[in-house]
Amino acid sequence: MLALLVPGVAAVWLLGVARTVRAETPAATQTVALLASVVTLVLAVVTVWTRPVVDAPWLPTLGVRWHFAVDGISLPLVLLTAALTVVVVLHARGREPGRGIAGSTSASTFYACILLVELGALATFLTRDAVVFFIAFEIVLVPMWVLIGRFGDEHVRDTVRRDAASRFVFFTVLGSTLMLLGILVLITSAGTADLDALAAARGAGLSRGTQVMAAALLVTGLGIKIPLWPVHTWLPPAHTVAPTAGSVLLAAVLLKMGTYGIVRLVVPTVPVGFAGVSPYLAAVGAVGIIWGGLACLVERDLKRLVAYSSVAHMGFVAIGLASGTTTGLQAALFANVAHGLVSALLFLVVGGLKERWGGADLTIARRALRDASPRMGWALVVGFAAALGLPGLVGFWGEFLAVYAAWSPAPDRPLALLRTCAVVAVVGMAIAAAYALRVLRLVWAGGAADAAGAADAGGGDAASTPPRWWPTAPGDASGREWAVVLVLVVAVVLGGVLPRPLLLVTSSDAARLTTGSTTGEATP
Amino acid sequence: MTTFDAATLLPVLAPAIGALLVLVVDIIVPRAFGVHYAIAFISLVVGVFGTTDALSAGPGDVRQTLCLPAGGTCFYTVSGLTAALQLAALVATGITLLLAWPLEPRGDRDRTAVTLSLLLAATSGAVGVAAARDLGSWLVTLELATLPVVALAALTGTRRALAGAIQLLTTSIVSFAVLTLAAACWYAATGSPSLTSAAALAATSTPQRGLLALSVVLVLAGIGFKLSLVPFHAWTPTAYAGAPLPIAAFLAGVSKVAALGALLVVITAVASLGKAALIGTAVLAVASMTLGNLVALRQDDVVRLLAWSTVAQAGWVVLPLISVSSLGARSSAAYLLTYLVATLVVFTAVAVTIRGSRGRSGRRLTAYRGLVRSHPFVGGALALGLLSLAGLPPGVLGLIGKVVALRPVVIEGWWVIAVIAAVNAVLGAAVYLRWLRVMLEPAPAPAAPAAAVAPVAPVVTAHLSHRVALSIGVLVLITLSVQPQILLGLLT
Repeated sequence: MLALLVPGVAAVWLLGVARTVRAETPAATQTVALLASVVTLVLAVVTVWTRPVVDAPWLPTLGVRWHFAVDGISLPLVLLTAALTVVVVLHARGREPGRGIAGSTSASTFYACILLVELGALATFLTRDAVVFFIAFEIVLVPMWVLIGRFGDEHVRDTVRRDAASRFVFFTVLGSTLMLLGILVLITSAGTADLDALAAARGAGLSRGTQVMAAALLVTGLGIKIPLWPVHTWLPPAHTVAPTAGSVLLAAVLLKMGTYGIVRLVVPTVPVGFAGVSPYLAAVGAVGIIWGGLACLVERDLKRLVAYSSVAHMGFVAIGLASGTTTGLQAALFANVAHGLVSALLFLVVGGLKERWGGADLTIARRALRDASPRMGWALVVGFAAALGLPGLVGFWGEFLAVYAAWSPAPDRPLALLRTCAVVAVVGMAIAAAYALRVLRLVWAGGAADAAGAADAGGGDAASTPPRWWPTAPGDASGREWAVVLVLVVAVVLGGVLPRPLLLVTSSDAARLTTGSTTGEATP
Repeated sequence: MTTFDAATLLPVLAPAIGALLVLVVDIIVPRAFGVHYAIAFISLVVGVFGTTDALSAGPGDVRQTLCLPAGGTCFYTVSGLTAALQLAALVATGITLLLAWPLEPRGDRDRTAVTLSLLLAATSGAVGVAAARDLGSWLVTLELATLPVVALAALTGTRRALAGAIQLLTTSIVSFAVLTLAAACWYAATGSPSLTSAAALAATSTPQRGLLALSVVLVLAGIGFKLSLVPFHAWTPTAYAGAPLPIAAFLAGVSKVAALGALLVVITAVASLGKAALIGTAVLAVASMTLGNLVALRQDDVVRLLAWSTVAQAGWVVLPLISVSSLGARSSAAYLLTYLVATLVVFTAVAVTIRGSRGRSGRRLTAYRGLVRSHPFVGGALALGLLSLAGLPPGVLGLIGKVVALRPVVIEGWWVIAVIAAVNAVLGAAVYLRWLRVMLEPAPAPAAPAAAVAPVAPVVTAHLSHRVALSIGVLVLITLSVQPQILLGLLT
């Protein structure tokens, strides 16, 4: 029952607040939001611990059921979502976007959107019904659209915000409708909407053509969401414009829904079909790695740069998935969680920097971050080190395992192609090192300021904020922001040093999803 | 002698008797505004009561009357599906009446009786056509559902209203001609005036098989006019924009129920012939969606926007009929009902805004700036209705509608159509989110120079009947979003 309560609490809270909050202050709203997200986190932990199952009919006509359960695949993502929502709400206090415009109701809308996104994401990760999965997938759209369009970067023109928000929605709606078609193919040909039953059947009784059709529709639809090259073009503008909270949720939660969808909807249900499309998936992933990396090398906007690096990271996930082995699947899941943590950290830091600078253009010379705000600088170093896959940090394991899996894929996958992809991915890792170091040189070490020959170029931007002087650095992260960043840094390091618990949690279920097919075929 | 079962016919008879009563009472007590409305509402409630019997019947169980003696065919057959459509028509008329009440100009209340009588007559036709099983009553009830609306659209007598009414009238006549031709073909092919599967089956062994197919295509074209499917849609924007808002809501609601009810009578009759997918339906559906959405994207007048959105939604309504089967018919009706609920909520919210803004400005998109913030209830209801039309949560009902509508297409394996529909889901989202974005924008500052953007008048002035209509609509929408099975269950 608790599994149902988790999203339920958030939803009830929202209804209450949307109505009553008009007279309340942003601070009170924030407290309510914080309380709700913490309670959700606690419930999520309880859910993960007790692993309850909820199963009740909803639409008998369509065979759709409220079926929620948690397993090793969804467990890390559920925790990640619940924890990051707390982080985001905590971080947003006092910096709710659009505060100046219309007073307190703005803040409540803002937090309501954040919690709605959480609700949708949790429902997506928990549900075991294909149609409910689709509905939950759609729930996040409108709140995210509001977050980007309404609470987006105030420094850009309205049209830019509007464009970014619309792009996000239209790409994603197209993706999810294609996914719906794929789901309908599955449901109508297999006769059930239950994902467990579909996974247990392993595509039995479906012709190869149907399987490939379903897999192609689903992977295309989910690929837009992930996003994979060439349909990634919505991501950079959305990230650039979204408020910090939006960026974090977008990168750390929404992108995960795409990959999770492939793991849950495609890999076990239509194994033959997925084998058919996986070479394309691998190729697209490899192109994405290189494409994202190259874009990062020349990108001037720091937030866009982090967004492009997400595209590259998702390429690794795609390659891991395409390899068809248990290791590959685990790599994908690990890289998923790792990217969630790293991108959350990076977006928090970069969002904070953007607030301080009033922009995120890398070519503008500023004071070296290690001098101006050492804490933020340090967090940025950790974030980019993890992003470039430095061993000992969380980013390393996912990428390493993905490349390993691609080098030795499942027997029914084209070996040469996947090995090529593995090589390309390694090149991509080198590019990642290059762009990460480029950013650190420019921002952390103040390379841009040196190049411009300016003694204290940050002054112009800092004028709007209270004066800051070395060594006290009052503009640096402090209090809540610092605590939040620190928690993420600890998580990034812990995940890197001790990857075992996470891998253990996912291993049995990952094996069930992938190798189930091989044993199933071996012993018909 | 034919049988006559008044209880089964009650949904048709009640509004018809109501229409007469209103006129009679008007002669005795002229301009008795309240009495007229009371009669109208009572007749609708009685009609709704009449549908409950057939609704509670099990699947496959039908109520029949007007049967020929000795087990002959019945001219009036109510299945669960029919009863659901009848219920929808009656309730939608009720909402229209609630909308019309406060918009009644105080000066000329002598029109009230005429308006109500015409509305009830059209409703009676809409309810009757869904159950009609012979060519004669099918044609007559279908026209009964249409012609009073022409008069209603023209009643205000303004230039715009007349232009719209004339277009509507011309379209109706053409449509009637096409449908008569279709009826003639049907009769020639089957040799029977009854629109039943038995008649259709009998025709398959005769050389006139081709005529039967032609008849179905002609029916599709004729009904296409009424459903405003592309390329038969041209009257829609003019008529909607010219007519008073409640009449536009009636056109968007009850008239569509009538048209689909009529179409489903024929589709269910030929469904027994086996799986013959209609390429014509596919083309009409896809063209309507695409054109409707594209043009709606460019509209700044909300009523015109709604008109084009109706065109697009009509495409979605007929999309499931690609599969000529009972699944297709049920899915189509289900989508129509989801559309109906959402669109009536939107129309009601628009009515409140137009009345609040006193004048034409409520029809402009800019009048909705900041509505969610300034009037949370009206704004929230409108947002929910729009999202439901767009098929995005929290408008889960619309989402379920899309699932239901796409299912037959996928089952039949029409991939190209399915993908075009998916693209149209995006276009539709663009249309409705454009409106929603305006509503979410911060309200214009009171100190804004000049009245370039007229702020909406306080909704404190929203008439009681509007509030009732809006509350009913929102309640139904939320209930069905949480528990769509109620709606889907009606149709089994």
